[in-house]
Amino acid sequence: MRKTFDAELLELNEELTAMARTAQDAIDVVTESLSSDDEAAAKAAIEMTSSMDQMERDIENRCLQLLLRQQPVARDLRAISAAMKMVTDLQRIGDQAANIAEISLLLSRQGGVKVPQDIGVMSCKAGLMVKQAISAYTGRDVETAHAVVNLDDEVDDLFNQVKRELIEEVAENKDEADSSIDFIIIAKYLERIADHAVNIAQWAIFCVTGEL
Amino acid sequence: MDTHETPIITAKGLELWYGSAKALKNVDIDIPEKKVTALIGPSGCGKSTFLKTLDRMNDLVPGVTIKGSVRYRGQEIYSPEVDVTWLRKQIGMVFQKPNPFPMSIYDNIAYGPRTHGIRNKAKLDEIVERSLRGAAIWDEVKDRLKKSALGLSGGQQQRICIARALAVEPDVLLMDEATSALDPISTSKIEELIEDLKKSYTIVIVTHNMQQATRISDKCAFFLLGELIEYGDTEQMFSVPRDRRTEDYITGRFG
Repeated sequence: MRKTFDAELLELNEELTAMARTAQDAIDVVTESLSSDDEAAAKAAIEMTSSMDQMERDIENRCLQLLLRQQPVARDLRAISAAMKMVTDLQRIGDQAANIAEISLLLSRQGGVKVPQDIGVMSCKAGLMVKQAISAYTGRDVETAHAVVNLDDEVDDLFNQVKRELIEEVAENKDEADSSIDFIIIAKYLERIADHAVNIAQWAIFCVTGEL
Repeated sequence: MDTHETPIITAKGLELWYGSAKALKNVDIDIPEKKVTALIGPSGCGKSTFLKTLDRMNDLVPGVTIKGSVRYRGQEIYSPEVDVTWLRKQIGMVFQKPNPFPMSIYDNIAYGPRTHGIRNKAKLDEIVERSLRGAAIWDEVKDRLKKSALGLSGGQQQRICIARALAVEPDVLLMDEATSALDPISTSKIEELIEDLKKSYTIVIVTHNMQQATRISDKCAFFLLGELIEYGDTEQMFSVPRDRRTEDYITGRFG
């Protein structure tokens, strides 16, 4: 009986990992589309995030089935309830990536817009946080989860820096104000993605320690 | 134990042997008043043995040796001056299989009070009604009190046994897997009844049903090989157990 249950818990881990990988890929692709004015890449990112809707439903479904059939307690209960909460954060991350892709599409039509360097760095870090947060959960690794929580400060600092730079740019060059504001919005989305990764990391910690 | 919980039964260094086999090893536990305490653990772990030490049912088993202390409201229950009949009036027991006496419903309930010397018909009527109401079965049997209790369903019989235990106005109710032989509807009736009874009584149950323990108990004690491994608030034990062995048992990872 336990064998089936353990196998299903492993499958749940795999599904969450796959969804996190898709989120991270979407973030990479959408960042790529920003710097290369690549409309196709932006569309591809939107496509990827829309596949995450189905993944979310599948994971939620599996969790409900496990709750119903196994009536889990202790670490099993924590693992499954954490998964149900985390999948919502993953889904939001997908939404934020799709929002960035929408803006990227508009920017690529304008052409030749210079992307602030720190946006690329933010996007790298946010993507990494998502990946590490999920791996902290699947590996029941509190240390990695704490590392994700700590990385959030760096992303926040980067956001503030990007914002400052863009405000200056708007002041100096009003003609480019439109795209500067777009980049502030993109930076905000990336900052939110990092926040969702922190939520996931905190669920990973809960899963091990039971502390909310 | 939390400061707001008054212990009604306290066991200290309790040890029990069946012949040379040690069935309880150095058990320390405080059972709080007017709460439901569940005893869980695999078969042969000592939980039923422990339950039976609380009303001295083990006295009847040949070759039993008991050491250590069990206090009920401060009274050492194994001291020679304790009247076992008095003790079992204070601490009633309901068993796994419903065991109504082969007599009428009325006489089943009146049996205990009669043993304790109550003969007055009006008084007995009152006790019978109050006990059957207390066990949530009055409405089902009030028109057939003179009929045999053996004609009732298993779930009804078990509630008759609970009513019989209540008739002598006990302080503590012990239940040894009292719902394991019942269907889900009867089980849920008895669980609701337990929820209700704990307003007036202290209840200690032995159960193999983990979901039941989580549903109805306030405190939970996990026994393994005669040892009390973990004891604490039920919610805590089923969400974040402290001991690895508890975790392995409740999640079905044993063996």
